[in-house]
Amino acid sequence: MLQKPRSRGRFSSQAEKDRDSGRGGDIRAQRGGVSEETPSTSRGPAGSQETQGTSSQGARRSQAAPAVGPRTQKQLELKVAELVQFLLIKDQKKIPIKRTDILKHVIGDYKDIFPDLLKLAAERLQYVFGYKLVELEPKSNTYILINTLEPVEEDAEVRGDQGTPTTGLLMIVLGLIFMKGNTIKETEVWDFLRRLGVYPTKKHLIFGDPKKLITEDFVRQRYLEYRRIPHTDPVDYEFQWGPRTNLETSKMKVLKFVAKVHNQDPKDWPAQYCEALADEENRARPEPSGPTPSS
Amino acid sequence: MQGSTKRMGIMTDVHRRFLQLLMTHGVLEEWDVKRLQKHCYKVHDSSATVEKLEDFINNINSVLESLYIEIKKGVTEDDGRPIYALVNLATTSISKMATDFAENELDLFRKALELIIDSETGFASSTNILNLVDQLKGKKMRKKEAEHVLQKFVQSKWLIEKEGEFTLHGRAILEMEQYIRETYPDAVKVCNICHGLLIQGQSCETCGIRMHLPCVAKYFQSSPEPRCPHCNDYWPHEIPEVFNPEKEREAGVSKSSKKSLRSRQH
Repeated sequence: MLQKPRSRGRFSSQAEKDRDSGRGGDIRAQRGGVSEETPSTSRGPAGSQETQGTSSQGARRSQAAPAVGPRTQKQLELKVAELVQFLLIKDQKKIPIKRTDILKHVIGDYKDIFPDLLKLAAERLQYVFGYKLVELEPKSNTYILINTLEPVEEDAEVRGDQGTPTTGLLMIVLGLIFMKGNTIKETEVWDFLRRLGVYPTKKHLIFGDPKKLITEDFVRQRYLEYRRIPHTDPVDYEFQWGPRTNLETSKMKVLKFVAKVHNQDPKDWPAQYCEALADEENRARPEPSGPTPSS
Repeated sequence: MQGSTKRMGIMTDVHRRFLQLLMTHGVLEEWDVKRLQKHCYKVHDSSATVEKLEDFINNINSVLESLYIEIKKGVTEDDGRPIYALVNLATTSISKMATDFAENELDLFRKALELIIDSETGFASSTNILNLVDQLKGKKMRKKEAEHVLQKFVQSKWLIEKEGEFTLHGRAILEMEQYIRETYPDAVKVCNICHGLLIQGQSCETCGIRMHLPCVAKYFQSSPEPRCPHCNDYWPHEIPEVFNPEKEREAGVSKSSKKSLRSRQH
């Protein structure tokens, strides 16, 4: 009744074949054939997604593709696994993950169940790794992973990479911005950093290229916002906290950092302390919606 | 759910922190893994007894199973050190490298991989690899640049360099064994003892069977007269010592100064 399912060497590996000896009954409309590089279970033409079992008139709206049909538990599991790995790898670079990239590189023709897949992936990320999948800003359709485990100083001794820049240059800049009323001119930032031996034009032993770090890398990673101030001559820019900063840390945490550096108490800055407290109260209120989009 | 009916383990913050930090390393030696485990217990559950590493990892692996990844244990081919890496079970490609390297760099790795697998010793010379630079896919790469890329592979522990020649790091073998076996089924060499993929090792001069150095060490451990397990001829190579983590730490010998057996004993 249906055309024979094509099996163009599905990406699925030996491991899957071994795991899964009684596969016979599951060969419904499986799409195979993927290049060896992308870990994807299927990448068919973005054709129609009619269910199987349509009448013999074979509603051929799309050119060549067989109908998708119900997917097996295993296929779904694999899809979620791919999605989890994709999110983990992308987040490692600290670049927010675009929904369009997820759809393009992982979801493919499982698009119809994208919200469910994302929800399952988010659950796994939380349960297994302790990462929370959140949208960078409401309706932005970009995501980041937030660590629900508190970073601990000793982590630095056992980890294999730099980790998130929770201390160091970024924290200093975040502190500067907050203490100056949530926005600061670039010229003021360099005035301050020069006193610490950090210059925009000079290579730094630890930070490398501080200008690039602050005006490009941290901005791309959404820790900072960097905007041109109009009508300034010479041109000046201003910095503010980016959306990732608000998700990963808080005004109170940054104030505590600043206080620690000065060997003082956060309360020594009453205006900022008040602001930080208000921010804490806001955060304590329950979230209006979950991290995953409602399609 | 189809598949295993094994009881799935429980994840706690100890396990999560362990996984997070393990993932920051491409590959980790057993001693460092134990240190990492202790650290995680200290942070979250300092009163609890630290579980035996094998059980701890099996527990995590039973949870990771549904995500088609696992913490895999292997052994370095040159001196038998236990190593661990988080590997992907669902893809049979070099996809983990794909995120860190450009197309032409990945192709360079593939070329080096082929040369290594085809070689007698498990090593490919820098010269031979660099001569293939013109055949690479993607953006054109000069030899000078390729030298730099090879060093990147060494730094990120995909390749090991010894005297201008390159072989696979234990990490690459752990991650890519399946891919290698499927892609090069005829050229691939296998150890007569453990039946695992063999890149470096010793071979019998009479019948040609091969064995990993650590497998040789274990197999001939208490033999006064080592003989080939296949053809019984006298085994002509120096028998390495079995890796002993306690001994090494006592002696305070650093990894780099330790006299590791040369693996060119084919």
